[in-house]
Amino acid sequence: MLVNVPGPWSPLLGRLALSEIPYTNPILAPLFIVIVLAGIVLIAGVTYYGKWGYLWKEWFTTVDHKKLGIMYIILGLIMLFRGFIDGLMMRTQQALGDGPGDNGMKVMGAIHGYLAPFHFGQIYSAHGLIMILLAATPLLVGLMNIIVPLQIGARDMAYPYLNALGLWITTAAVFLIMISLFVGDFSHNGWFGYAPIFELAYSPGVGVDYWIWTLELVALGTTLGSINFLATVVKMRAPGMTWGRLPVFTWTAVSANIIALTSFPCLQVALALVGADRYLGTHFFTAGFGGNLMLYTNLFWLWGHPEVYFVILPAFGMLSEVIPAFSEKPIFGYITMVLASFAIAGVSWIVWLHHFFTMGMGPYVSTEFSIATMLVGIPTGVKVFNWAFTLYRGRLTFSAAMLWSIGALFLLLIGGLTGMMLAIPAINYMVHNSVFVVAHFHMMLLCIVYAVFSAIIFWFPKIYGFKLNEAWGKIMFWLFSAGTFLVFFPMFMLGFMGETRRLDWPFNPQWGPWFDVQEIGIFVYILSVLAFLWMLYVSIRDRHANRVHTADAWGTSRSLEWLTDTPVPFYNFAMVPHINALDEVAWRREHGFMDKKPDHFKAIHMPNNTPIALYIGALTFLVGFGLTWRVWWLTLASLILAVILMIYRSNKGDPGYIIPAEKMEEMDRESKARMLSDDSHQVPHGGGFSGGTVTAYTALDRDASGSLTPPNDSRHL
Amino acid sequence: MSHGHSDPIHHPEVQMATNRNYITGFVVSSLLMLAATILVDGHILPSFGLLLAIIGCAGIAIIAQVYFLLHIDISEHNIWNTVALVMFIPLFIITIGLTWWMFSQLYMRTMPMIPGMPGMH
Repeated sequence: MLVNVPGPWSPLLGRLALSEIPYTNPILAPLFIVIVLAGIVLIAGVTYYGKWGYLWKEWFTTVDHKKLGIMYIILGLIMLFRGFIDGLMMRTQQALGDGPGDNGMKVMGAIHGYLAPFHFGQIYSAHGLIMILLAATPLLVGLMNIIVPLQIGARDMAYPYLNALGLWITTAAVFLIMISLFVGDFSHNGWFGYAPIFELAYSPGVGVDYWIWTLELVALGTTLGSINFLATVVKMRAPGMTWGRLPVFTWTAVSANIIALTSFPCLQVALALVGADRYLGTHFFTAGFGGNLMLYTNLFWLWGHPEVYFVILPAFGMLSEVIPAFSEKPIFGYITMVLASFAIAGVSWIVWLHHFFTMGMGPYVSTEFSIATMLVGIPTGVKVFNWAFTLYRGRLTFSAAMLWSIGALFLLLIGGLTGMMLAIPAINYMVHNSVFVVAHFHMMLLCIVYAVFSAIIFWFPKIYGFKLNEAWGKIMFWLFSAGTFLVFFPMFMLGFMGETRRLDWPFNPQWGPWFDVQEIGIFVYILSVLAFLWMLYVSIRDRHANRVHTADAWGTSRSLEWLTDTPVPFYNFAMVPHINALDEVAWRREHGFMDKKPDHFKAIHMPNNTPIALYIGALTFLVGFGLTWRVWWLTLASLILAVILMIYRSNKGDPGYIIPAEKMEEMDRESKARMLSDDSHQVPHGGGFSGGTVTAYTALDRDASGSLTPPNDSRHL
Repeated sequence: MSHGHSDPIHHPEVQMATNRNYITGFVVSSLLMLAATILVDGHILPSFGLLLAIIGCAGIAIIAQVYFLLHIDISEHNIWNTVALVMFIPLFIITIGLTWWMFSQLYMRTMPMIPGMPGMH
């Protein structure tokens, strides 16, 4: 039943052999040594300072949504850096390899530039996959993980253990793609894969297998996460947090996760069929024997286009939180903002065909998808106007976070307008597969990156209790923007000049000057990376000076996450507040209720830490690795062990633990003691609230104190 | 919310799940898969008939899985399952329908006629 693979295979090691390790490659071998040395230093450092217990207890086994979110973001930032290095290598290859003649570095085995075509193919494939699924997605999922429960007044996600599982499966995907650097090769046929090049006959190596299982793992992790987000928002909202009072970021998280939940299975099925072709010898996407290679493209983009809205919608949500906070105004058109998010999510399902207008399905189909694609411009336009009207006559503060958000708006404009151009099939026939398209979607993805940096700077003080250095945040912003301008505006030009994407040898000497400009842009990007690292260093060094002593770090924030203590204690809210208005914190501040303290406490129910999520994550990595190298015993053993662990955990369950009311009161007192009272905050209070009674904390005491039943104070009334 | 939160076994979602449902769902979808495999393996029908037969099997399998395994129905006490169903139907029609339409247009222009398929020119 299994397909015979070309080359040697042994039952014990599968296709693994010493020759698969590229120790002769002059880029990878030194890199491997550096990484091994850095790893040894890291492990030695952790051992020397005796931090293993701390790491294990506080991070590896945690189910706390904030810590999981932080780990997601660290993962995303590391992969953003890896993807950036891939980008740097591609830019350098094109700058060096441009023009006719023999300009290759022979020592690297390259005829043009310094990379052989096969190596270059792996780099652009890894760059795309990493940036979209292992950088943008973890960054956004991490931020949603931290902020969504805080914004709706929940103590944790609905399924804390599932949350940890999602993180560790995503980490397994990251390890799988990283190990492909040093063991074997990665796929060389683009991040979305082309049928039938990825079939075994044309790609006999393990690269495509690495690609399949990395994607499968990250799809699994993200699907689990999206189930969790939806259940959390539906079931875990604080009393009074009606749907109409949900912050816009939470709304965008809901719409994005509906997309993720419904679309990721398409990807998993499509890749499982590719896997069946490569492992079992079926003919789903082959060119002959009844296979249909167009079907793969169709299935992939059936997921792929909803996926791009899955990554853009939370970014829109972040802009919708940052811009009002630094305009000192409520968001303009809250309801249209929410409706626009869902309109984008809905339309995302009927546009996927614009990724292959040139396939040849004729004018009627193309017209439908062209119009549907243009329709996306309407809700997006609504959002942009809403942000603009929020800014209009606002009391603007151009903090670092605000600069990143405004930068995102500019990129959205450029990306959106070029997107409108690409929505027209006639133009698409002209620029299809050119770097014009590449420049367009980089505008959109960089819009996400801008929103993410904005959100990191904005929410950092809430989580860590001190602000990031504003000056270096701004320096990084300007360097990053200069890099974006220098790399991607020439790319638009090159697209018009007819450069197709993924060229390892750009043959036209007239493109040369633009490549040089892009190369300069990449170096400016390097400076912005250094500025980012320096910003982190300076901020951590001066953390005592930058400490935030109030719940509301910026003094003008609006939504519920700014009501609880800074830094957020592990239980989020000592007493779950009662929500009275949209923008609860702004409402309380304006009416002088920020200093309102709960007059009594209740016992709360918290989940226990568990290492099982980490174990299952590690096992899924082994499953992926075993499948890639066709080591069947490893695959089967890890899979069975993972299932056994899952059943074991399900049977054992997690009763959690109860923190009694007295202990809560004590912890709250300690947490509050570290903060200044909000009475002494420099932000002026409003004129007071007239009429009606206000509920700051629901007085209803539904749980019998002292009983071991988990209290349900975090439920929606 | 009167049903006890202390014991997850008493949640309506869990109460609705029975072993018999899962086994029925598994058996029905396995049988349909087997039927489709036998039909294709033996080339029992002409090409286009085969296509329709597989689609029919797949359609019934989807309904069986949605009903028996996912417990998605229109009962009143499980409003979120109904919401999921309401979302699922348009998505199903959009994804399968538009794919069908695209491929019929594409095949008309690029592929030789499938034997037994009506309306091709």
